[in-house]
Amino acid sequence: MVTTTQENDELTWTSTVTGLPQKRYYRQRAHSNPIADHCFDYPARPEDVDWRWLYPSMRADQEVSFADIGCGYGGFLVTLGEMFPEKISIGMEIRVKVSDYVLDRIKALRHRSSDTGAYQNIACLRTNAMKYLPNYFRKGQLEKMFFLYPDPHFKRAKHKWRIINQALLSEYAYVLRKGGLVYTMTDVEDLHIWIVSHMEEHPLYERLTDEEASTDPITPRLYQSSEEGAKVVRNKGDHFLAIFRRL
Amino acid sequence: MATIFFSEPELVIGHGRKVLFLNPGDLQIFKEIELPPDLTTCGLKLAEPVPVPGPGPRPSHPASSSKQQPAALKEATGSVKVEVSIQNVTYSPDRQLLALTTVGQKAVLLYKSRPENAQLLSIRPLTRASSALRFCSDGSSVLVTDKTGDCYQYDCVEVDAPPRLLLGHLSIVYDILWSEDQQYIITCDRDDKIRVTNYPATFDIHSYCLGHKEFVSGLAMLTEQHIISASGDKTLRVWNYTSGKELLLHELPAPAVRMLVRQLEPEKAYEVAVLLYDHVDAIGVYRLEQTTKESWSITATQMVRAEAGNWHICNFALTDNRIYVTGAENDRLTLRVYDSRNGETATGLPDGWLKMVLDNLDVDAFMPEDLSVWFKKRFDNVSDYLERKKRRIEEQKQQKCG
Repeated sequence: MVTTTQENDELTWTSTVTGLPQKRYYRQRAHSNPIADHCFDYPARPEDVDWRWLYPSMRADQEVSFADIGCGYGGFLVTLGEMFPEKISIGMEIRVKVSDYVLDRIKALRHRSSDTGAYQNIACLRTNAMKYLPNYFRKGQLEKMFFLYPDPHFKRAKHKWRIINQALLSEYAYVLRKGGLVYTMTDVEDLHIWIVSHMEEHPLYERLTDEEASTDPITPRLYQSSEEGAKVVRNKGDHFLAIFRRL
Repeated sequence: MATIFFSEPELVIGHGRKVLFLNPGDLQIFKEIELPPDLTTCGLKLAEPVPVPGPGPRPSHPASSSKQQPAALKEATGSVKVEVSIQNVTYSPDRQLLALTTVGQKAVLLYKSRPENAQLLSIRPLTRASSALRFCSDGSSVLVTDKTGDCYQYDCVEVDAPPRLLLGHLSIVYDILWSEDQQYIITCDRDDKIRVTNYPATFDIHSYCLGHKEFVSGLAMLTEQHIISASGDKTLRVWNYTSGKELLLHELPAPAVRMLVRQLEPEKAYEVAVLLYDHVDAIGVYRLEQTTKESWSITATQMVRAEAGNWHICNFALTDNRIYVTGAENDRLTLRVYDSRNGETATGLPDGWLKMVLDNLDVDAFMPEDLSVWFKKRFDNVSDYLERKKRRIEEQKQQKCG
């Protein structure tokens, strides 16, 4: 199938072969300062969010229940959309170009599969998840949260910029429902150890046993579907997965 | 920072290295605390200096601290003496204890305020300059928040116990409340948020009161269930804080940078005074009444001009008919007194007392805090990118056509 630029003016950075936007136009350095002021339009409170704008065919009884925090180029978000057609998933990404890529990618996917109505259940928000989660989600709204290949912020002075830290774990627990799951994946062993120790120290989370983690249908997909993950697989690097339950 | 507050029946002013306790009627000083120039002489054990390279871990806190930053750096290297200066002062509810925080050498000091002379109980180092200070209702501990959004609990029974980190915001915490039953800690920050945290299970957030669209500068308890907040978004709001529900929104003529509340009739009527940012009427005084169980209204307004524009107002205190205002005039600390009933300069103060108070406090030049940095800076990094993207797509199209 060939989607040409003439068909849809908004999709001009798309490949004529795949009909999807080409990543090379959206490259951006991997680090972002999550504490600084950015230009974000964010809602004052969850009831002010117009989700229909992101999910035009969302039903009234549906709401966002999965959140991929720092979704990058959206590889795993797309997988979530395919695996869970009944669930609404949101990707949150702070970088301008990267989030724009995900938007264009979803637009192209929706366009390409307009006959089946697929990919209507995923969307991307450019926002700072460290600051604005309670602005978007009610207490206990989310079923699953994903932190895949987060920025390791190696320097000690920047540990507060890490997406998993003591103070933020309480915010995640606030938007997660009881029994909800947090998936974390990294190829940096030190960060993995950091994440596990902080999560286990927090009274509102418990780690899933290896058996529970391996029987979760999402587990195998975590290794494949994110771009970062695929890169690590190619490089034959190690992955460190940990899943936690909100108590 | 010049801090001033009224705690029936005392007016307390902290500035430089001194805290003065005054009779609000005639401004007679009946007690004072003076800190030594070097706090290690009264027992402060400085924490090991931890060199922090590059930009600090949380650079979004207002640059107001920039004035203190060079000092802090020098302090870390230990080469230059830094002027110790009082940042926040507060009483425990029964006024048996007094806590104060300092910058220069950052510390939290705890005093037994009775009998006559305040007795220093303990001095503990702070990691960062404090932004707010509050005792719990029974005075058994005091909470200190800082510019990076962390909130620490200092025990007041085990007066030398190390602090406990209770909770963290991602930006500076401007005010903190602790419910009478000690079940909830309520904090507000520069990111428009009011957060209600369970206590002692502070890892568990009970609710948020959301709706403000700029920094939340002040909080006050009204009833057991309700609080009031003041914000840079030019509103006062009343909330049921356990449900997070907004019960009243009152528009102000300018952003609010400080708020004080005085109970007139329990559970019924309150006086709410707000320091307005860069506005000709410096202070707004509002009468707030609870009309039904879940609704409130402002029933009277009195603006106090306080010679705004002629000097830089920093802080104020409320008594039953007066407003005591501190600020800077020609880089010097100044104290003025107004009548809250008509907004005019107060009469009946004995001549010379105002000057005597100031002479007692006068230290080197007093530079007021630049509050403009509290407001969020909007810089647009999106439209630029979208514009470039559009241009490149146009170019590509033309190349294909050509």
